[in-house]
Amino acid sequence: MNAIEIRGLQKSYRVYQKKEGLWASLTGLFQREYNEVEAVRGIDLDVAQGEFVAFLGPNGAGKTTTLKLLSGVISPSGGEAHVLGHVPWKRENEYRRRFALVMGQKNQLWWDLPAQESFQLHQKIYRIDPEQFRRTRDELVDLLEVRHLLGQPVRELSLGERMKMELTAALLHSPEVLFLDEPTIGLDVVAQHNVQKFLKHYQAERKITILLTSHYMKDVVALCRRVVIIAQGEIKYDGSLAGIVDRFSGHKVLTLQFADGRMPGDLARYGDVLEIVEPKARLRVARSSIADVLSSVLANNTIEDVSVEDPPLEEVIAKMFAHTANEKKSEAVLPVETS
Amino acid sequence: MSHHPSYLGVFLTFARNSLIRDMTFRANFIIESISSVSWMIMNLGFYTLVYRKTTNIVDWDKYEFFVFIATTMIVNSLVQTFFMPNAQELSELVRTGGLDFALLKPIDTQFLVSLRRVNWSSLGNFVVAILLLAYALPRIDGWTLSIWHVLLYPLYIVLGVLILYSVMITLAATSIWLGRNQSLYDFWFYLTNFSRYPMEIYEGAWGTPLRQVFTFVIPILVVINVPARLLAKPLSSEFAWLGAFAFVATVLCLAVSRWVFKQALWSYRSASS
Amino acid sequence: MIARVQTWWTILRICLEERLVYRGDFALGTLMRFLPIVTQIFLWTAIFAAAGSGKIEGYSREDIIAYYLLTMLARAFSSMPGLASGIARQVREGEIKKFLIQPIDLVGFMLLARIAHKVVYYAVAAGPFALVYYLCRSYFPGWPAPDVFAAFLLSLALAFAVGFFMEMTLGMISFWFLEVSSLLFVYMLFTFFFSGHMFPLEILPDPWRTIVDFLPFKYLAYFPAAVFLGKIEGDAMLFGLAVQACWALFFIVACRVFMHRGFHRYSGYGG
Repeated sequence: MNAIEIRGLQKSYRVYQKKEGLWASLTGLFQREYNEVEAVRGIDLDVAQGEFVAFLGPNGAGKTTTLKLLSGVISPSGGEAHVLGHVPWKRENEYRRRFALVMGQKNQLWWDLPAQESFQLHQKIYRIDPEQFRRTRDELVDLLEVRHLLGQPVRELSLGERMKMELTAALLHSPEVLFLDEPTIGLDVVAQHNVQKFLKHYQAERKITILLTSHYMKDVVALCRRVVIIAQGEIKYDGSLAGIVDRFSGHKVLTLQFADGRMPGDLARYGDVLEIVEPKARLRVARSSIADVLSSVLANNTIEDVSVEDPPLEEVIAKMFAHTANEKKSEAVLPVETS
Repeated sequence: MSHHPSYLGVFLTFARNSLIRDMTFRANFIIESISSVSWMIMNLGFYTLVYRKTTNIVDWDKYEFFVFIATTMIVNSLVQTFFMPNAQELSELVRTGGLDFALLKPIDTQFLVSLRRVNWSSLGNFVVAILLLAYALPRIDGWTLSIWHVLLYPLYIVLGVLILYSVMITLAATSIWLGRNQSLYDFWFYLTNFSRYPMEIYEGAWGTPLRQVFTFVIPILVVINVPARLLAKPLSSEFAWLGAFAFVATVLCLAVSRWVFKQALWSYRSASS
Repeated sequence: MIARVQTWWTILRICLEERLVYRGDFALGTLMRFLPIVTQIFLWTAIFAAAGSGKIEGYSREDIIAYYLLTMLARAFSSMPGLASGIARQVREGEIKKFLIQPIDLVGFMLLARIAHKVVYYAVAAGPFALVYYLCRSYFPGWPAPDVFAAFLLSLALAFAVGFFMEMTLGMISFWFLEVSSLLFVYMLFTFFFSGHMFPLEILPDPWRTIVDFLPFKYLAYFPAAVFLGKIEGDAMLFGLAVQACWALFFIVACRVFMHRGFHRYSGYGG
């Protein structure tokens, strides 16, 4: 059964065009010019119950806008979507009790109060049964190891601790669908890892549906089997993580370790030389010719060690984003992620 | 489990959380209370000076006018305590995206946005105003406390507060609607400035239309004048209709502000990404 | 020298542009600011109606209204919204460091920023001011003599100087006390009451009347208005201008002294 069904979803809005210079800002007093920005241009997507899906895309691709559309914060300019059978922008309380949105760059906890007071407020707003509220809260703070921080004002917490509290707050009403917008942004490696571990465990246990956007490949690698790539408001790829490399990169990275002082001078004939640190060399070789290159290298040199790898995921995706951005420049308006 | 959230429960939690917050910044709390009280005392000083030069402002003598000022203080302190910090924060919520979170909650958004914070320190003026009432009322010629005073004065205070709230939230919501970065809410002060004087001072070729506009179009003259007159002056049939009108005005104001707020949210939803 | 002029010019231009971004609803906002005058007109009409005699402390009803309109003009020169609190915020958030690091003078920079602020404000507010003054022309006693008018203009310029440097001095105090908002509130209260913004200072009874004469506040609003209306004439007027100039000078020196001490303290303790 699908938890999320999206058909032809569109969102466009107007932005005020500020002009450079003194005179222009003076005339701006009297007339404003607007540009129409298409943030989401017809997205189709199905997400099954219990899936953990990652949204990838460059800044301004429409990821956050899509999440906001699905949570009913904003209304679309066209298309349809159903989440758990509800149309999000009808904003029925029944629906609002069944999902949660966490945004890494924004906080919804009361800044000057201990997190437990904000939790109390959530209990009242979501009408969570007191007994169940206590159980859920205790379970969450124990899993996230922040129980000892419950009484501390949120402003005194570190970024990582605050994110854990945000997650707790969002999960108190046991949502069936969770939207995560860059939940690990700005966190250090340890905190990032902790949040990933928690999300993985929680999702596996509760079988909830999660949509995640992130700039950290590590999040995606650790959590999601399915990846959706959005650029310029359209879906460019939908499939497995490994499939991205197959699809968008025609190369492999070949690492060779030569016996002492035996490195040949003409490595370039095998492929693009990425790096040479004696006795190791890294080459980029077209996927189609990897077998030929390998046999030729092994036949002509004394090799101590060899490995063939896919290029790093980050690199492939960065290249793909850069490519789509170039494509984009030929069009008039660049979408701006305003949030 | 009911489908509707417990609005009273949520409000009490807001009030409680705000108090906890205010208490963690105790020095600030005390300074704010003193500030707002001393502001009002300065104002009172001004009118004391004026009454050295005159016996009446229209038909309000000194102690009657003090009752008027006290009523102004009560209404304003209630508005400042419960609604003002929230209306001020509305444009901030739009800027920071905090409004997004409010929109997600299974509870009425206007309720959530209007009552999130309670500014307890503004109640200082409320106390001073009660003291001022206790001082001024016995000094009014021939004044006696009647049951109507006890019943109707608080009621009309509440109506006044609701009218001011409607005006305030309408202005704040309009600034979202129009997509202005500077909040229209600034105009609130200039607008409500009209309500702080007895309506009888608006007389003559300019004054009468002004009084009618601020009675019937934006009924802010009703806010202070009705409860103050009820308490300080003998009841008269002339003002009975105004008393009845206050109810109608409150209901209409609330309805209009509700409509504007919904429009603002609608535009926010279609204009942001 | 030319390089320095260019630096200052660039700063001024950037400040002008920055102000224009906050276009808001400037003109409408300025008109709104006159709304309290409307209630003041009605209030004083009512007061004079009951007072019987035509004058209060030498002011007729028309004088009082002209007085309020003129103090609004004076306050347009002397009020510095957000100046001291802005410095306090910069100190608190460590932004003030840039004046220790970059070769810019804090006072000079703030002065230019404020001039830009005011220039934009006057450009937009001139219309509404002219409109209101025209509508209220019957309240004014007519144009004063040229020398009085010159003195009035001078007192407006000095009101700007006194207002700016006094608030700068106040802002510098935040080097010593991080939380100056309560101090600023007291300052605001004093300026409102004792500058003559709320009522002509003649109304104050003694000893307040005498005390106010020794404070700098009355030069922010009362003095220019009184000069225009001919309440202060001849030698008294010249003496008043001299005292106003002295206050400006006093605060120019005071804010520099405070700034240097403040920087010294700030760098000593580390932000």
